[in-house]
Amino acid sequence: MNLLKRYILPRLIQYFIVIFIGITIVFLAPRFIPLDPVISVINRITAYGAQYMDPEALEKLTETLKELYGLKGSIFEQYIKFWKRLFRGDFGPSLTIFPTPVISIIKNSLPWTAGLLIIAALLSWSIGNILGGLAGYFSNKKWAKVLSVIAMVIYPIPYYIMALILIILFAYVFPIFPIVGGYSIGINPSFSFIFSLIKHAFLPALALVIVGIGWWFLSMRSLTSTITSEDYVVYAETMGIPKNKVLFQYVMKNSMLPQITNLALQIGGIFSGSLVTEYVFSYPGIGQVLYMAINNGDFNLLMGIVTFSILGIATAALLIDLLYPLFDPRVRYR
Amino acid sequence: MKNNNKLLVVSDLTKVFIIGGRFLGVKLVAVNRESFDMEEEKPEIFTIAGESGCGKTTLARMILGIIEPTSGKIFYKGKDITKIQSKEDRLDFMREVQPIFQNPFETFNPLKRVESYLIETAINFGAVKNRSEAFDRIEEVLQLVGLSIKEVEKRYPHELSGGQLQRVSIARALITNPSLLVADEPVSMVDASIKMSVVNLFKDLKEKYGVSVIYITHDLATAYYISDRIAIMYRGNIVELGPVEKVMLNPLHPYTKLLIEAVPEPDPDLKWKEEIKLSAMEAKEFAKLGCKFSERCLEAKERCHEITPEKIFVDDRWVMCHKYK
Repeated sequence: MNLLKRYILPRLIQYFIVIFIGITIVFLAPRFIPLDPVISVINRITAYGAQYMDPEALEKLTETLKELYGLKGSIFEQYIKFWKRLFRGDFGPSLTIFPTPVISIIKNSLPWTAGLLIIAALLSWSIGNILGGLAGYFSNKKWAKVLSVIAMVIYPIPYYIMALILIILFAYVFPIFPIVGGYSIGINPSFSFIFSLIKHAFLPALALVIVGIGWWFLSMRSLTSTITSEDYVVYAETMGIPKNKVLFQYVMKNSMLPQITNLALQIGGIFSGSLVTEYVFSYPGIGQVLYMAINNGDFNLLMGIVTFSILGIATAALLIDLLYPLFDPRVRYR
Repeated sequence: MKNNNKLLVVSDLTKVFIIGGRFLGVKLVAVNRESFDMEEEKPEIFTIAGESGCGKTTLARMILGIIEPTSGKIFYKGKDITKIQSKEDRLDFMREVQPIFQNPFETFNPLKRVESYLIETAINFGAVKNRSEAFDRIEEVLQLVGLSIKEVEKRYPHELSGGQLQRVSIARALITNPSLLVADEPVSMVDASIKMSVVNLFKDLKEKYGVSVIYITHDLATAYYISDRIAIMYRGNIVELGPVEKVMLNPLHPYTKLLIEAVPEPDPDLKWKEEIKLSAMEAKEFAKLGCKFSERCLEAKERCHEITPEKIFVDDRWVMCHKYK
């Protein structure tokens, strides 16, 4: 009970405040830019052929669009309405793909990105941290130095270059993997569909994992080498504790703490997509949708994606806050 | 030097650190060809004192086998510990020589329960057969340091006070019935009120249980109170080594004099008598020719700057100064 009151409750309150403020900003920002989405739609419609419109019809169209976009009434009324719609999961229709509701566009594209990025993040996190931890602890060993040099070479390579190299190598020179798309067209959901899915996701994931490992490796190695020189590690060694036990329970466990936070934040940030990956590999994810929305001034779609992004990051931060006491006893009951 | 009946013999021990790169780095001689020994039959508290950076911690860590000496030998009960290869021999050595570190908050892993240190030590060194026996032994050693198992059970390091932790640390060292404790500034991080109880504990251990202690400190008051012999270190050299009464009450080496004069008197009307010349170039002093103290020494003569003084046996003690030749 005490734990709930002193630890969980303040964090839950903080969580809702963050979301509230974030979404309010999402609501306000487009309304303060000197761009009227309604007018831009009408401009587009006229540009696509309807040279002349009856003023009455135009008036009606404007009203309907305003209703659809939630731009009717004073800003306060709009705000109330905005929240009401949000609770129903309604972000209005997309502008670029006109009558399709924003929510269904997000529903279609988010699983692609989330699947790809979460798997890539988890893989690169675990491999990078284990290797980095070993290299930091055994920093005098030759293999540790070789690994460090490799990581230092890989890490600064821009992601798109890595992606292009992989495409050229494994899709063009050795055509093992497909170049574009999320899955082959015309396959029924079955075992072969899953296989096709993995095949398509392999190269983008590989590029993400390679670059990710470089970063996790380097950060973990520096964390570990600091902790290895801490008194309690030296002390544990004089206690006759076996070396592998010292490595895992004294060195790695302690250097892992900041890395857990970083992983959670990275996974929380997935909702805004990974544009470059999706663009280079023509992967049908939310990054591409976001790019399209920005290009076309699709406010509803933008608001929808940003709202999800806020929810994602805030939830990840909340989860890590709630789970942290399990990893670090110093945070308990504080 | 005979190694029979000696608990610990340190001979010509040297440690050189290279700071800043393998090729362009500066050589820093942290411990410079030092020797001393301790008797096995007669347990004693041997103090190594000196200002920070004088090499006392390096010396202690070499004795504990944490860092490897550059040259020189350390014999423990006649065995050269720098040559220990097998795991069993190393465990045997660690069982008998136990460390106590300076900062209790850094000694314990913040993610581990304090009692796990006690249990692991008991089981790792084969002091007990099973867990229940381990608990009996732990209760026993905790009582020695004035704690009980209830106070530490299921606690994490941050839930105990510095004094409690330091006493747990001493209790842990006692589990294996060691013959030598190496205590590196064990009281510098604990409150003044606990200081005396920890220091008294060392005295008790020596008198009742025959445990020898290497007590490393910069606190001359506690050193005088508990030690039998004292070694004053300066820039990697032991400049004066002898019985504590002689060295403290009648210091011969100018550096020892300076150290003892720097101890404040508990009288507000008394001022520090002399101006103390501080060293501005510590790293340079390590590499200096001649007597390393000569820059700060008030009695320095020309030869002090050029010739490294030898150790001379005067009035029951070894002094490293040209003055007594």
